Amino acid sequence: MSQSAPLPLVESLLDVPLPASGIAWLDAARHENRAAFAAAGLPDTRVEAWKYTALRALGQRRFTHGDDGAALRAVAASTFALPGVDGPRLVFVNGVFRADLSALDALPAGLTLQPLSQALHDDPEPLRFVLSRPALIGDAREVGDAFTRINAASAADGVMLRVAAGVKVAAPVQLVFVGAAADVELAWHLRNVIELGEGADLSLIEQHVSDAEPAQLATVVSDIELHEGAQLHHAVVQNVAIATSLIRRSSVRLHARAHAMLHALELGGALVRHDLRAELVGDGACFDTRGVFMPHGRQHIDTQLAIRHQALNTRSTSTWRGVANDRARGVFRGAIVVAPGADGSDASLSNKNLLLSPGAEIDTKPELEIYADEVKAAHGATVGQLDERSLFYLRSRGIPLAEARALLTAAFCRAVLDDLPNEALREHLSGLLVAQLPA
Amino acid sequence: MNSSMINESSASTTLRDNAEVAEALGRSYAAGFVTEIEMTGLPPGLGEETVRQISAIKQEPEWMTEWRLEAYRHWLTMPKPDWAKLNIDPIDYQAISYYAAPKAGPKSLAEVDPALLETYEKLGIPLHERAALAGVAVDAVFDSVSVGTTFRKQLAEAGVLFCSMSEAIREYPEIVRKYLGSVVPTGDNFFAALNSAVFSDGSFVFIPKGVRCPMELSTYFRINAQNTGQFERTLIVAEEGSHVSYLEGCTAPKRDENQLHAAVVELVALEKAQIKYSTVQNWYPGDENGVGGIYNFVTKRGDCRGDDSKISWTQVETGSAITWKYPSVVLRGDRSVGEFYSVALTHHYQQADTGTKMIHLGKYTKSKIVAKGISAGRSSNSYRGLVKMEKGAEGARNYTQCDSLLIGKKCGAHTFPYMEVKNPTAIVEHEATTSKISDDQMFYCRSRGISEEDAVSMIVDGFCKQVFRELPMEFAVEAKKLLEVSLEGAVG
Repeated sequence: MSQSAPLPLVESLLDVPLPASGIAWLDAARHENRAAFAAAGLPDTRVEAWKYTALRALGQRRFTHGDDGAALRAVAASTFALPGVDGPRLVFVNGVFRADLSALDALPAGLTLQPLSQALHDDPEPLRFVLSRPALIGDAREVGDAFTRINAASAADGVMLRVAAGVKVAAPVQLVFVGAAADVELAWHLRNVIELGEGADLSLIEQHVSDAEPAQLATVVSDIELHEGAQLHHAVVQNVAIATSLIRRSSVRLHARAHAMLHALELGGALVRHDLRAELVGDGACFDTRGVFMPHGRQHIDTQLAIRHQALNTRSTSTWRGVANDRARGVFRGAIVVAPGADGSDASLSNKNLLLSPGAEIDTKPELEIYADEVKAAHGATVGQLDERSLFYLRSRGIPLAEARALLTAAFCRAVLDDLPNEALREHLSGLLVAQLPA
Repeated sequence: MNSSMINESSASTTLRDNAEVAEALGRSYAAGFVTEIEMTGLPPGLGEETVRQISAIKQEPEWMTEWRLEAYRHWLTMPKPDWAKLNIDPIDYQAISYYAAPKAGPKSLAEVDPALLETYEKLGIPLHERAALAGVAVDAVFDSVSVGTTFRKQLAEAGVLFCSMSEAIREYPEIVRKYLGSVVPTGDNFFAALNSAVFSDGSFVFIPKGVRCPMELSTYFRINAQNTGQFERTLIVAEEGSHVSYLEGCTAPKRDENQLHAAVVELVALEKAQIKYSTVQNWYPGDENGVGGIYNFVTKRGDCRGDDSKISWTQVETGSAITWKYPSVVLRGDRSVGEFYSVALTHHYQQADTGTKMIHLGKYTKSKIVAKGISAGRSSNSYRGLVKMEKGAEGARNYTQCDSLLIGKKCGAHTFPYMEVKNPTAIVEHEATTSKISDDQMFYCRSRGISEEDAVSMIVDGFCKQVFRELPMEFAVEAKKLLEVSLEGAVG
């Protein structure tokens, strides 16, 4: 949607020189994306993909691009320490790569893990395809791509992760995105490229954390490609501070018999939006997502999941839980498309939500678009409260009401972590969930 | 209705069914004939003058003319909506004639042109004695005007007002003025605004306080003339503690061009009132190549204005090239109830984007949605629904079930439910499935000597049963036969 006068946010995001790579095609793509963002501006709520997420307030703010002092910001190792996770690590602070915080020594054979800028410097050609376009997957009609465009224009760095064919990486790889306190309100952008070769196997932890003040705006765009028979376990822990707005888009492309399993915890942030798209392009590809969003205070957490079955005998399962408290708003869209000819597709999606407070709101929209007939597709969504009988059961055994509520709410959310293979991590994450529960 | 009659009619149904299977091979759209009858009407075109002319023909009071003009002026400012999952060829609003009527203006049922009565007879509408047998009071709308309302006297004795909208505007202006546009405002949406400007007739029902309408009320709509649009407006008001069941059926002749049908239906239920509204929509769907057919763009909305009121929509949608409608209920009164039962079948190149909206405002309001979509051929069938729990909807409850059945590889079945919940004591539940007729089910039937076509219609019938159960009996029988005919050639 074009605006009559550009919004302060749009102005401030455009008011920066584009990163100069010296690579002609990359600079051209950045210019193009910047022009497209400038022309389209921010989507408003009349755009279907942003129906429940108004950008009015965010649009009035100004952010300063990039942090000159990023290399010197003090970040405690405890910020990103996770039990059960002790492997290669790549850390970005305010959008800038920090070698001192990363762990890139003695990478296992077959694993490439480096800043994208480094990869571009060494040999840009293999990245040309993925970086020439704003996002690998997406509906061209969607105006909602504004943030993907500004990311494509402005992101100077990001993660480059590649696992060679047939390589099984034993230790989990950790990607950490830190927003550290600066003198001004910062905006930063990162672009990640992750590729698993044929039969490769990787466990990946993606962490988003930030300092409480001042406010920040971050965009992170990731392209993840799984070649034939590749396996990915991907856990996302989003626990940024309440003043940080974080807009992400992850596009996952799965070839034949590839399997991706994603666990996502969406806990922090002021305005948080995650567009998670998957295309199952190879026969027998499999995509499983488990996630929970728990907005409280005045948080707004929006998850847009879109799964496209395009090949034979593909499978997807999605289990998402939402808990909204105080004056918070949780938004969920779970769209499943079965393309013509994608026979044997099996798709199921469930989104259950708890509404804990009179000021809170949940908007959920499960969708099915089916163009093939040899298909099993089902979805379910509920919004409600804790089961009165379960509460009664616990109270009749002497557990106080507040505690009984917390216990049941925790159990409600924990269901999404059940099949997380890393046990130590699972326990830690479920501890994070419990900590977020209303007292 | 006594029990012997029920037995008789079900026996004759079986007999007719057998004859129909043979007959069905040679036919597809039985209501596709054209009635040769002298027509008068307005030439194609739309402007303020057209609106004034329609109003003048109807001998409407000044306020009504102004109401229409206001709607027309608003319509001019509105963009055409494009959010539905539909491919619609552009509509030339200047090429449509906005008023067509049989030339011999009927004054009473006895004066109705025999050719017209024959049409309704062919369609199986019980006017006259047949009406008495069926116990249904019918208001039939032929193109733009209402041609006869049966059972006026009996209804009048009960205090029920049932007449055409034109008549109601003349005879009961204070009621019409109070309620018309109060549920669907003139500027509600593009097609409702157009309808408000040019609506030519429709039905009006008023059930006074405490009255239980002694019989089912019914309207039959038929588009006959070429190049016409039908824009009817129905208003049903049920006063405190009253009760009414209303049926609506629609057909149109086979023509190669698309014809527009943009109706508005408004229901108002006051305290403890109940309205049950059933539709069997069988507008001409176009031929097997997707040529012709009706564009059915309808706004239907009920307002449970009083506490403990109830509005129930039941629809069987088999016709129309494109269906775009969402019968909705605004649950304003505390403890009010909204229901939506729907079967939508699309075949060949038909497109349907239909569903409902349940807007919960009152405390302890309840809504239930059961939607069954069947797609065959190259058709596209979408359920689109909204369940909204506003802040005040304390303890409100919704249950939604959407099932889609796919017959063939080239059709599409889609589900787009929206759930917006702002009250922590409200409960919303939505479930949807999509599947095809399973090979197991088919094999079971075939191994017992049931033909493929019969097996499909049997399975489809079972799939729709939950909705058919909600229809008045005559309509349930008709709906079942309609599905069979519409699905013909969908398998094998």
